[in-house]
This record gives sequence, C-alpha cells and structure tokens, in this order.
Amino acid sequence: MNCRECAEHLYEFLDREATPDLERDIRQHLEECPPCGEQFDFEAVYLKFLRARCRTQGASAELKRRVLRELFGE
Amino acid sequence: MTPNSTPTPPPPPVPPVPVDEKRESFEREALVHLDSLYRVALRLTNNAADADDLVQETMLKAYRAWDQYEKGTNAKGWLLTILRHAFINEYRRRTRHPENVDLDTIEPFAVFGEIQDEDPQGAFFDKIVDDEVLREIDKLPEAFRETLVLSDVEGMSYQEIAKILEIPVGTVKSRLFRARKVLQARLYDYAVSQGYIKGTPA
Repeated sequence: MNCRECAEHLYEFLDREATPDLERDIRQHLEECPPCGEQFDFEAVYLKFLRARCRTQGASAELKRRVLRELFGE
Repeated sequence: MTPNSTPTPPPPPVPPVPVDEKRESFEREALVHLDSLYRVALRLTNNAADADDLVQETMLKAYRAWDQYEKGTNAKGWLLTILRHAFINEYRRRTRHPENVDLDTIEPFAVFGEIQDEDPQGAFFDKIVDDEVLREIDKLPEAFRETLVLSDVEGMSYQEIAKILEIPVGTVKSRLFRARKVLQARLYDYAVSQGYIKGTPA
C-alpha cells in the first residue's frame, strides 16, 4: 500500500469500517510511514471534534411534551 | 333450596387493566430517539420550528405504523427513514439550500499538508465553537450533509446509512469522504480568518 491509497481509505479505517484485510494493510503502512501516521492522528482529532460539537443539541422539553400529548393525549 | 344457598362461584378474576403494550414498547424503543430525530431534522430543515414539526409528524407516523416495525431491531434507523421520507415529501421544497453545488467537482484542499508544521495535532479545532461547525455543516449540499450528519452526529454505520438513504455503501463512503474534507477545509479557513492559526498565506 502506498501513501495515496492509504489516505483514500483513512476515514473507513477511523470509522472502523475497513475490511480486516484493508485494516491490516493500513496498519502496516502506518507503522512504516510516520508522516501518514501523523495525518491519521490529525484526522482522528478532527472526527472526535466534529462529534463533540454536533451531539450537544437535543429536542426541547416543549417538543417532548407536544409529542406525548399528540400520541397519548396527555 | 333457595337459590341463595348455592355457593356463588367467585367472580371471574378481573383481568388486570391491560398494560398498553403498544405505548410501552413505543416509549422504550422509539421515544428514546427523540433527540437524535430532532438533531437530524434540524440539519435537514435548517429551521427549529420546521424541525419540531417534522419530528412530531415522524412520531405520529411511526406510532401509527408501529405494528409494522419488528420490535428489537433497529428502531433508530427505522424512525430516521420515516423522518427522511416525510422531509422529502413535505419540506424539501420549502428549504433554501442550494442543491446545485456538486462537491464531486471540488478538489478538497489538503488541510493537513498546510498545517502539519504549525499545528499537526489539530489543536486549533478546540477553539471552534458548536455554532460555527453547525453553520458550516448547513452549507453543505443536502446529499452530503445528510450523510455526514447520520455518521458524525448520529454515529450510524455505513450499512445503516446506506439503508436509510437508499444508496450503495460505496456512495456513503465517497460522500462522507468529500463532505468531511470540504467541511475541514472550511473550518480551517475560518480558523485562519479568526486568527486561531496563522495558516499558510495563499
């Protein structure tokens, strides 16, 4: 696996969606190639950041009440 | 013998007030996903009032169709499919998102290449607040936005996303790749514009 192929599959790998063969090839490449390793670390930070920023919002208490009222007449 | 002398059989046991099983299972399996549905609805409609209405409608449709849902399977995916169909049928026309932008034609800017000397650990991300991230997500074309939201906001697998969006898994992968890269580049530009990082002068 070369650096370009490795970069193409980086999100599959970080999302734990890579097939076992692909995951093995990527791990092997990352061990041999520190620059790609740094890039993967950077992308992992990015994904963690995205998730942390986007998951804070939820339905309002008013919407919850409205749904219950509509469904069960409460 | 008077009829009264016959021992009266005990009244048949009153069956316990039937627990509303439908309601109980709906609360347990569906209502717990209200926050997720709202987050996705908000990103699709880009408007809190529409998101409320869309979630409300989704829950009503889901409750009516609850018998068709196979209990204990993937309620979240099932609900999101209903939500998405309701959105497409009733809300999409009213949204203002430009749909003509084709991310496939945008060459994603290699952020890491620009920043690896200054901030290889991506510390600048910490300075970017929720609202700014959501604003940039909302600017993505719908097909890319919904894929990214299902993955990064709701943590669904590629397979689940493919099923909800009715597209092949390979398309999920490529959309997610593009969407994340474009979003990353825009957040990088924003961080440079705010002075969080120097970046590389263009």
